[in-house]
Amino acid sequence: MTPSRQRLLVIALIMIGLAFVVFFGVRFVYAFREFNGHRPRHFSLPQSEPAETDVTLIRDWMTIGYLSHAYQLPPNLLYEALNIPPRGNEHKSLKQLNKKYYPEAPGIVVEKVKAAILADQPPQSPLAPDTAVPPATAVPPVTP
Amino acid sequence: MTDFLLTQIINYGAPILGAIVFIGAMGAPFPGTLIVIAAGAFSKQGILPWATTGLIALMCVVLGDSLSYGMGYYARERILRRFQNSKRWAQAESTFYRWGGMSVFWTRFLITGIAVPVNLIAGTSDFRFRRFILYDLIGECIWIFGYGGLGYLFGTQWEVVSNFLGNVSGLALGLLFLVVGIMLAIRWLRASQLKTNP
Repeated sequence: MTPSRQRLLVIALIMIGLAFVVFFGVRFVYAFREFNGHRPRHFSLPQSEPAETDVTLIRDWMTIGYLSHAYQLPPNLLYEALNIPPRGNEHKSLKQLNKKYYPEAPGIVVEKVKAAILADQPPQSPLAPDTAVPPATAVPPVTP
Repeated sequence: MTDFLLTQIINYGAPILGAIVFIGAMGAPFPGTLIVIAAGAFSKQGILPWATTGLIALMCVVLGDSLSYGMGYYARERILRRFQNSKRWAQAESTFYRWGGMSVFWTRFLITGIAVPVNLIAGTSDFRFRRFILYDLIGECIWIFGYGGLGYLFGTQWEVVSNFLGNVSGLALGLLFLVVGIMLAIRWLRASQLKTNP
């Protein structure tokens, strides 16, 4: 390798390395904040997860079968909400279903599924207060 | 591509995951780490049995790595014919022999972007298969069970882990380029100083 090519290789390596470090470094900081915010407090090994309730986690690669398993509801409820037959659609993703049955309205299947799941969920109980509620009756002062 | 692969995993389970990591280990540009983390989350949801899935994925990825090592091994003769008398080739080979184990280990899970080139170089150089498979197995165990375990731990929030680890991997690759570039620059400067002041 000629010295000029060698110099070019070294400069290219350093430049690419710097570009990667800056690009992924910035993304890393944001990803770390997000990661830290979602970190589980303790490690547990349950046999299976409790039913998911957060519909913002629904993606268009998911299938009706997967959603019915994750959100623990009958698949027919989702097929009915979409107004499509279960037969032949078991392995299709929401994106594929959208393309097949609602080609004129992109994203409608995800929205319909979210609405159906939300409608099936029991109403949320009022949030428990963060601090202990003081007793209604006054505690008598401690007398020596 | 990623969405398609995820749909296939939830439809067909561990065999598809095995096929994906196998083909990925042979050089196909699949998002292997994301898939492994997602598979961990699917195991927690009860979609995939975690032990069987982990073992199938481990076997498949090690098989894929071995095959890409084999590709390098069988290309060795052709490469040697061209570079046999090259001093630089001998230097590169001895460097890989010295650092090869660590290269194989770290590229299995941290700097996955250069895993396939490392497999090919390992096969092409005089790096023994037995040593390769040992480091490969340890590294892939961390990838499958460690990263998959994080997916399991985070459950439906697995995308957060995948995003985080993807950036860690990119950052590690950037640091590697930077360190190698600086080392080469120092060596090159020393050599040019020796030439001017012998």
